[in-house]
Amino acid sequence: MNFGKLIERLAQLIPVLLGVTAIVFFMMALTPGDPVEIMIGDQPISEEQEASLRHDMGLDLPPVQRFFKFLGNAVTGNFGLSFFHRRPVIDVIAERLPATIELSLVSLLLALITSIPLGVLAAVKKNTIFDRISTVGSLFGVSLPGFWFGILLLMLFAVHLHILPVSGRIGYAYEVDAVTHLLLIDSLIAGRLDTFFNALSHLFLPALTLGLPMAAILMRVTRTSMLEVLSQDYIIFAEAKGINRTSILIRHALKNALIPTVTVAALETGSLLGGNMIVETVFGWPGLGRLVVESIFVRNYPLVQAAVLFYAITYVFLNFFADILYTVLNPRVKL
Amino acid sequence: MENYKITLMATAALALSSVLIASPANVQAKELRVGYTEDALTLDPANHRKRTSQTIIRNMYDGLVTRDPNMNVVTQAAESWKQIDATTYEVTLQKGITFHDGSAMTSEDVKYTFDRLTKEGAIGGQTSPRKSLVGPVKEVQVVDDRTVRFILSDPWPQFMAFMTLHEIVSKKFAEKVGADGMSTGAMGAGPFKFAKWRKGDSVIMERYDGYYGGSQNLKPVGKACVDTVIFKTIPENASRVAALLAGDVHIINDLPAHSLKQVENNPDTRVMTVNGTRSTFIALNNQKKPFNDVRVRQAMAHALDRQLIVDKILNGKATLINGILGPDAFGKNKNLPAYKFDIAKSKALLTEAGYPNGLDVTLDVTGKDKDTAQAIASLLTKAGIRTKVAIGESSTLTTRFRTKGKTIDGQMYLTSWGNGSLDPVGIFVPTHRTNDRGNSSGYANPAVDKLLDAANTETDRAKRAAMYSEAEAIVNKDLPKLYLWVAQDLYGVSNNLSGWQPSSDGRINLHDACVK
Repeated sequence: MNFGKLIERLAQLIPVLLGVTAIVFFMMALTPGDPVEIMIGDQPISEEQEASLRHDMGLDLPPVQRFFKFLGNAVTGNFGLSFFHRRPVIDVIAERLPATIELSLVSLLLALITSIPLGVLAAVKKNTIFDRISTVGSLFGVSLPGFWFGILLLMLFAVHLHILPVSGRIGYAYEVDAVTHLLLIDSLIAGRLDTFFNALSHLFLPALTLGLPMAAILMRVTRTSMLEVLSQDYIIFAEAKGINRTSILIRHALKNALIPTVTVAALETGSLLGGNMIVETVFGWPGLGRLVVESIFVRNYPLVQAAVLFYAITYVFLNFFADILYTVLNPRVKL
Repeated sequence: MENYKITLMATAALALSSVLIASPANVQAKELRVGYTEDALTLDPANHRKRTSQTIIRNMYDGLVTRDPNMNVVTQAAESWKQIDATTYEVTLQKGITFHDGSAMTSEDVKYTFDRLTKEGAIGGQTSPRKSLVGPVKEVQVVDDRTVRFILSDPWPQFMAFMTLHEIVSKKFAEKVGADGMSTGAMGAGPFKFAKWRKGDSVIMERYDGYYGGSQNLKPVGKACVDTVIFKTIPENASRVAALLAGDVHIINDLPAHSLKQVENNPDTRVMTVNGTRSTFIALNNQKKPFNDVRVRQAMAHALDRQLIVDKILNGKATLINGILGPDAFGKNKNLPAYKFDIAKSKALLTEAGYPNGLDVTLDVTGKDKDTAQAIASLLTKAGIRTKVAIGESSTLTTRFRTKGKTIDGQMYLTSWGNGSLDPVGIFVPTHRTNDRGNSSGYANPAVDKLLDAANTETDRAKRAAMYSEAEAIVNKDLPKLYLWVAQDLYGVSNNLSGWQPSSDGRINLHDACVK
């Protein structure tokens, strides 16, 4: 890994981002629906004001011209005003992003700390009752619709047992100085354990709903690759040398078996950022996923554009990060 | 092996501890929480076109006038108003009104508010999207500290009705904080002052103890009852109902009809209803066969048992309409004949129109109304009008059907049009005037256009009402749409709540609301 590789990767970003921008822009432009009509809905408006609004939104220009204008502005970091919030889209996105990042990270953590041990265990105890239970369990994890599972959790823990809050990110009585904008971390920095636990109680159900399918997938991947690695000659050799079984599993087998897990985890994390709209809606979580999907429905072009660019950048970097991790896990892999 | 056990136990412990440490979601005394479908887009009263945002904003900002529970226009910050001539209105402010920073509200603030709404680029370079809700207001003149005059370029009978849609802002504050500050903060003269906005999550307000009391026509006059108000965003229906049942919120809006029993059967909650203002109808494409024949349209009306759908799908919470206007609207024609449910008559009309074997049609609808559409389709199919339901996205369907005169792409569209002002100009004109914005049936009748145009500027209320009545009688016969019903707005509320009642315009004004 050297600095040149990093520059090369960054340079690769440019065509990716240009391509993504063009595709999203023209897909949105070609989809029927008019932001002005949507904004006005069934309220009265004069033709003159309709034209003035269209001009304000820059929709009076032909799409190709609009695209180049957008590109020109985007290069300078200006992504325009959200049609509906009437503020810079960057501000609107920045307000909602930390909630999504926090939820995604905790879901990922939850998925990793459950899936890897369970996957290893299922591989080691192949064809036992434990293996069968975890295989069937992971099938459920992948198949349960997040929407339904989320509501089910909500009804159980919030409505019937009254032990977890129904929605939101933190209780109203709690306030913490924003440092990272991630409430769990900020509350620890401030030394406020009560705030930390309150935020955690709000986070638990959404993170569980979001993390479960990911945990299920990762468990399956870990199990499969563990089984493959365990049948390799070097494992048999290590056993023949009389190395302790735990040491073999962790140092020799797991380390090699984790490469596919890392790949899948990186891809899944990317989709966590965009794909958690349902969970965010069910739990009233003030994140970006919900905002973006709502913005697509109302044809809020500038916001969707900026958000998709952000997703694209995140995907590229996550994959880059996964590539670096390979080299750590297996020094023979070179970038 | 031990290591795995430890990992597993640690995982389980983490999960369990997260559950145990959570505090129960108790509602504190004097804190009123509303589970609301949407967050505010902005807190700037002049820079949005969203009713849900206005509902939140209106608890912090007062207007010159407002509406009573019967939807009559009554004074709010205004003490009185009078019409001087056809194009001049004079409004006098109540004494002792202060903004939340303690500064007095004067005529200058009123003038500034309306300048901000009407002048190009007045909001930090942006023009207010609410401009056309101020109609032909040309100028606002300051007469003295408490008196302003609105000068109109043309007579506008709906002037006072539209004045209910605007909130008075503080000139001093707006000039100090600019457009950005106005969109994320608030300085009104309403019963609650702005405390915090957790974007995407909640708007939190506190009682303003210096409140002037609000409308003199709406009792009780005085400070608000509760200390804190929280509008909490819960977009998902099931989660909103769950929040109410869990005691997490006191009021939820947009209670789905299928959750009615659940809320009614819960010992701590109840359902509150109010007549809505949204007319639901099926737009029939009058431009093309088969619906360009009035006999086919009438056959449709006879084939549909609307009351059955209201009873079964909407739990009886709707009023049938035979024209476009809802029962509470100004100028409503109360004597419109209903098309009786009569399959034989429907079939006879179809035969007469050249469809002895019935016909095949498609009903377009958004996902939200698909249950109703499927019920309608099955009833029509039974009567020989074989109806297929096609579910589409709202923005796409709007483009296909609301074409302003261009060819409509589709046959039938189950949709609705709101009329918060209860004035026909807000619903009758856009949905029925030739080539108008909401004319999703491609209907064109010069006689109706003439009546609607004349009524728009008629200042004699009785004459104006008569014009709308006459126009409604015509469309009842022409039947460009199948007029269905005006559904009631449903709210779920906690039994700890008192003093609040829902309002037909969809606003949730919490000035009078108390919690135990």
